[in-house]
Amino acid sequence: MDEKLIEIRNLSKYFPGVVALKDVSFDIFKNTVHCIVGENGAGKSTLIKILTGALKRSEGKIKYNGKEYEPHSTRDAMNAGMSVLFQELNVVDQLTVGQNLTLGVEKSRFGFIRKSDKAAQSSEVLKSMDPSISLNEQVLYLSVAQKQVIEITKAITSDANVIVMDEPTAALSEEETERLFEIIKGLKEKNVTVIYITHRLSEIFQIGDYVTVFRDGQMIGTRSVSELSYCRDEVESCAELIKMMLGKVVVEHYVASTVDYNNEVLELTDVSNNKLHDISFALYRGEILGFYGLVGSGKTEIVRVVYGLDESEGSIEIQGKMVQVKDPRTAIVKGISMVPEERRTEGLFTKLSIRENIPIMNMKTVSRYGIASKKKERQIARKYIDEVHIIARDEDQEVALLSGGNQQKVVVSKCLNAESAILLLDEPTRGIDVGAKEEIHNIIRQLSSEGASIIVFSSELPEIINLCDRIILLYDGKIKSEIKNGEDIDTERIMHIVTGGKGDIGAD
Amino acid sequence: MTIRRFRIDVQKLVIVGVLIIIMVVLSILTPKFLTYLNFNNVVMQVSLVMLAGSAVSLLMISGNIDLSIGSVLAFTGVMHAYMSKHWFPTGLSIFFTILLGGVFGLVNGLVVSKLKITSVIATLGAMYIARGLAFIIARADGGANITSGLPGNFEVLGRATVGPIPLHVLIVIAIVIVFIFIQTKTNLGRYAYVIGGNRVSAILSGVRVDAVLITLFVFVGLLTGFCGTILVSRIGSGVPRIGLGFEFDVIVAVVLGGTSIYGGEGSVFGMVIGALIVGFVANGLNLLDVQAFYQVVFKGLILVVAILIDRLIKEKLG
Repeated sequence: MDEKLIEIRNLSKYFPGVVALKDVSFDIFKNTVHCIVGENGAGKSTLIKILTGALKRSEGKIKYNGKEYEPHSTRDAMNAGMSVLFQELNVVDQLTVGQNLTLGVEKSRFGFIRKSDKAAQSSEVLKSMDPSISLNEQVLYLSVAQKQVIEITKAITSDANVIVMDEPTAALSEEETERLFEIIKGLKEKNVTVIYITHRLSEIFQIGDYVTVFRDGQMIGTRSVSELSYCRDEVESCAELIKMMLGKVVVEHYVASTVDYNNEVLELTDVSNNKLHDISFALYRGEILGFYGLVGSGKTEIVRVVYGLDESEGSIEIQGKMVQVKDPRTAIVKGISMVPEERRTEGLFTKLSIRENIPIMNMKTVSRYGIASKKKERQIARKYIDEVHIIARDEDQEVALLSGGNQQKVVVSKCLNAESAILLLDEPTRGIDVGAKEEIHNIIRQLSSEGASIIVFSSELPEIINLCDRIILLYDGKIKSEIKNGEDIDTERIMHIVTGGKGDIGAD
Repeated sequence: MTIRRFRIDVQKLVIVGVLIIIMVVLSILTPKFLTYLNFNNVVMQVSLVMLAGSAVSLLMISGNIDLSIGSVLAFTGVMHAYMSKHWFPTGLSIFFTILLGGVFGLVNGLVVSKLKITSVIATLGAMYIARGLAFIIARADGGANITSGLPGNFEVLGRATVGPIPLHVLIVIAIVIVFIFIQTKTNLGRYAYVIGGNRVSAILSGVRVDAVLITLFVFVGLLTGFCGTILVSRIGSGVPRIGLGFEFDVIVAVVLGGTSIYGGEGSVFGMVIGALIVGFVANGLNLLDVQAFYQVVFKGLILVVAILIDRLIKEKLG
């Protein structure tokens, strides 16, 4: 029963300026459900990409079924029996269930597709998992849960020994989740090993046999679930697990900002759209407000509404006046700027230099009548390189060549140059080394002391606790709780609330 | 000096070097090359490509393309002939024709940015529409082409010279300089690079993407309209069949000059050198009596080789 299926030894993966995985070693046993947990940027997806052939490792070894395993492509990995269910479902909506099941493995003669026995096998498996799905239905009309079942069926009938599931319950209802768990338990009996990536700690205890915790690219520990202290929705701690995931939670670094509670700079009232429900909160001058919640809790959705990317019902007021923020340009004009989640693809112009990136949100600072002054651009770039400690050869260096932390500093400089009263930061230090993390945090504190009002959206609890004066907890698109930061902050209660436990705001 | 600045310089240096090599080779191969008359010919051929290419460079830097310019050239040219024959004095007709080109550009810009149709498809449609309109207008005048009844000064724009240099060449030089200025020194130029380099970042940085794109398309339209007036003026009649393949001559010049098809990099200066390279190669092939069909094949080859060399340079330095 405890036979090793996959042995990972000293696995490392480097990208320019970033260590995504560092010296990871652990084993995955046959016919088990092995959970992998960690915050965003911890290295989970990098590991999976290496296992499934999408990325090549930089160092280390992987043994699969006793033999050395080094897939050169996703096809290689699939042929070896490794299959993946991503969050973005891999089914073709326009085809029928039957066609999807045989996609890629069609039997053909002279190019014409014939009915094969693979088809017979798949429909058997499908029926055993969810008899309500008919082969002739068009996939477009199925629910997310049913589409997942189709993918699982495909994996089984293609003789997969390993099915990797990436946050599979993110889009499922309670009932569908239960059904999925039944299916997963059944998979173990079909000689399939499941690698289950999740944020939701309670799930580990429902279906996991083992759990591996990642943090900052490193494997913190692997435990069998039975060893861990029990964690249920109601009362108890996932104490040991949380401690592993988050590292030390340091409260002593939090320094209260000087907040002017008489000066309300931003207020959202009953903001709703198809992902958010009745979001209401206020932001005060000089305050650092934090939003904490897991993937899918609504953090990004709130950012998008405030910054004018998504529509919503409800009202947004800036300095007491109702505003319609219809696009980012309007937001910037009204005094809101944003540091986006993905700095490379959303925050920067990687082919351009530092000097050309920084003024883009506010070209007025370097140009007159639409004509830009290179001299002013250099001055401004040098000013921020100095203030924010950007490590680069000079202001003409191409931004793509900077490290992650320095790239993020360029993005922050862009916003600083926009001279906004309100700054939104979406996962501001994700994937950034500890040193640069602290520098960016100091910049944020500095800004708030100068009167700016800041909202930090993060899935890293230590970051939220180190920075924010007030913390709003989100779950499933709703605000569950609002906490003032201080000495006696209860991190376990916070984790409990953001994983679906009872909060103290609104109906559950 | 940073690598990037160095790399851009190297790129420009390389294409200028290629141009010089081609000129040297051709002057060795045939005595007819290094003559005033020949150079005059080449420049006249190439000047229209450079005129439209100035605006197209900026458009392609922003990640968009305009396949309709050959047809718009024909359409505006025919309109100029028609208008100056029936309605307006030549000067005014030139003015309105340019505006008409601008209107076409405006429509392209609106379709691409507001209707969210990719520029390839949008301008492909415009290409057929403009070509059709060109034939319709010519037909409305009576014959296949508008050849008679044109005002006496119709050919001035296309044929006049200022000393030894044709008038329209001087105009083209002036406009190229203006666009080099726009590309290097204005916010508009910066926005083009930014939109082409990373459109999502541009939107999130508050760049008015729609306004910029529409402006760039309008510029292309205006300059194409201008090309139309110059060409029909040079020919002396409104011919709807002109400009076939013009868009590709321009695109080849722009890409040869260092502009990526995907946008985010390139320059107007590069386009100028690119246009000269293509012009001289075509000219050389003519002088060496190479058949026209081979020339077309050659142009295609130049394009592919240019892109490969560009990639090689990038990989070596990046």
